[in-house]
Amino acid sequence: MAATVSDAGLDEKWPFYTTPAIVDVRGLATAYRREGSGRVVVYIHGLGLTGKWLPFHQALSRGVDLIAPEQPGFGETPLPPWLRSIDDVVIHLDDLFETIGIEQLHLVGHGLGGWIAARFAVVYPRRLRTLTLVSPLGLRVAGSPLYDFFRMTPDEADGILLNGTGDSYRDQLDNGEPVEALVRSYGEITAAARIAWNPRYDVRFERLLERVSCPALVVAAQDDRLLPRAHCERYVDLLPDARLEVIEGSQTPTSHLSLVQEPDRLAEVIATFVVDHEGHSHA
Amino acid sequence: MPELEFYAMHHDAYRWMPHKSVVGEHSRTNFISLPSDFYDKALGQRSMEDFVDVAINAERLGFDGILHSEHHNTPIGISAQAMVTSAYLAARTERILIAAVGPVLNAYLSPVRLAEEVALVDMLSNGRLILGLPMGIGAQYHAYGLTNPALARARYREAHELLIRAMTEPGPFEFEGEFFHVPYVNLWPRPVQEPHPPIWIPAAGSRETLEMCARHRYTYQVVGGSREVNLRNINLFRDLCEQQGYTAGPEQVAAVALIHTAETDRQARLEAEAHLGWQMQNFLRSTFQDSFAPGHVSETSLRATALATGGYRSRDFSETTWDDMIKGNLIAGSPETVAERVEELTSEMNAGRIILMFDHGSTPRWMIDKSMGLFAEQVMPRFRPPGGRPIWARGEDRRKYTTASECAALASKPRAIPAARLADGTIVDVRTAHVPELREPAEL
Repeated sequence: MAATVSDAGLDEKWPFYTTPAIVDVRGLATAYRREGSGRVVVYIHGLGLTGKWLPFHQALSRGVDLIAPEQPGFGETPLPPWLRSIDDVVIHLDDLFETIGIEQLHLVGHGLGGWIAARFAVVYPRRLRTLTLVSPLGLRVAGSPLYDFFRMTPDEADGILLNGTGDSYRDQLDNGEPVEALVRSYGEITAAARIAWNPRYDVRFERLLERVSCPALVVAAQDDRLLPRAHCERYVDLLPDARLEVIEGSQTPTSHLSLVQEPDRLAEVIATFVVDHEGHSHA
Repeated sequence: MPELEFYAMHHDAYRWMPHKSVVGEHSRTNFISLPSDFYDKALGQRSMEDFVDVAINAERLGFDGILHSEHHNTPIGISAQAMVTSAYLAARTERILIAAVGPVLNAYLSPVRLAEEVALVDMLSNGRLILGLPMGIGAQYHAYGLTNPALARARYREAHELLIRAMTEPGPFEFEGEFFHVPYVNLWPRPVQEPHPPIWIPAAGSRETLEMCARHRYTYQVVGGSREVNLRNINLFRDLCEQQGYTAGPEQVAAVALIHTAETDRQARLEAEAHLGWQMQNFLRSTFQDSFAPGHVSETSLRATALATGGYRSRDFSETTWDDMIKGNLIAGSPETVAERVEELTSEMNAGRIILMFDHGSTPRWMIDKSMGLFAEQVMPRFRPPGGRPIWARGEDRRKYTTASECAALASKPRAIPAARLADGTIVDVRTAHVPELREPAEL
């Protein structure tokens, strides 16, 4: 398959950039990266950190066949005019799996990608062997509102997303030339707004998450300043077969971007969960 | 001197807001989330009353129109509903034009509701309404809880189409859009101006907006840019009008200027400088993320802005100095200086209308009155035909009638008569049913 990342690091756009494979999915040129072998694990990115094969991806792909698509409007997948809601994203994801020949999979999502993964699980429960949600958005939890990420300035981002530890991860956070980086990130926040501007949660989940029959893992950070812990706990309550795991930091308590801070630990937690539940099948 | 129409603008700001150097203790900027405990009800009411008085005074002074705007969730303009305010101004004034620039289409659940308000205010004001249709500044989308900025342009276009059709096409008809599906569009009441109140579009230069303005022959209200940028945009607008097959007249371009008139140039600066500083530092200041709500600007505009400002810093007008403003769109000085600058600015634009911002957010009432008074008596007549009358006092009275007898003479024969069925089963003409000898079956 052409979709490998063997030329990792050769491109100069920014650190960890790799050239994605592009596949036509019902007219949308969809970018994705794929590495490793074995069980198919699909990782749905959150807002930001696209266009990269990060240490987290590298670590997770050691034990599985990891596919990381870039959602419509993110990374090198263009924003299509038809993108109006999260269901458009989820249907596109199903189309992508049809196109590249994937039947059953382990699905992982982070942040906004966690919401997308949860919605996919609700709509296509029979496709999933497991579901892993890392600091997932998507729920309304009374008294625990999300930080308003649509207003977050670059000066605030480090404090909210990495609890002030950003200087240690400059290489992972580097997005290249500032003007183009701004234009790209504005395009992505626009796509995020199409999906999640209002409301910033899905009240239907209260009823529909019960449809998710596969085993689920919810991974929380120790000190997530974007997403209160109560959201992760509520997912565990609503999913029929779910448990919570808190990812610990080796230097400082983990933040919303635990995948940047603790790529190996997070990858190991996910890989272990995937392997432990390999047998689960709807077939 | 070219002939000009003069529109006095007032922001209706609530001026008791924290200075930018301390606002960070309370809110990122004065936009969106300044805690409402900064709002004092008495001072808020006083702000609104001052604004209304300025509008009433503008009529007495002979301005052609009063122009006001609509802002949401912010002290920069507490007249939060342009159509409500317009209705009140219609009651408190007689003949001056009322430019509401304006109701933000995307803050309405349905444009049909706006069509109703426009029709109502146009009727109540005797056809004095000018309707502005801004996109709404990006910061406001954070607070609507209604419209997604990432779909704002498409929704605005469709809302505009429905609004115009509701006001002009015979109802009922069905509207089947992407954003609005209205099975029965059937506007009652109807606007009195034909085919609808004049429409002005405030535009910072997006080609899409200028094309819309050119296609519909709307007035382009020139906002935002430097003089050079504004002139370039006006040239583009005139080219787009030519492409539509007509030449845009001066009335289709409305210049916008900050203004202060005093006895001397020095006195004008003494009076206005601190207030203009207040406006630049507290009123317009906003972060990039707040101003550019997701999707609110196109990629092309964003890239141009980013290249101009170095890429990632928040917008900050607070460094703007008096000299910067004088080089831009600030007209300040003695009546002589002001007249020269008005002529210069409108001539280079070939603009037939000018919107003058007499208040700078914190300017006190007395100072606005003084500046407007000097302007009205010593500057305005130079740009008018002999006699110095505002457009609403030339020619025919806009009011269709002022007495019941005129109304009776003007009204056409109604399509239907008012009728009701009585207990005995007969349907009678209700106009005479209370007089026994006139009670007769109605001819329906």
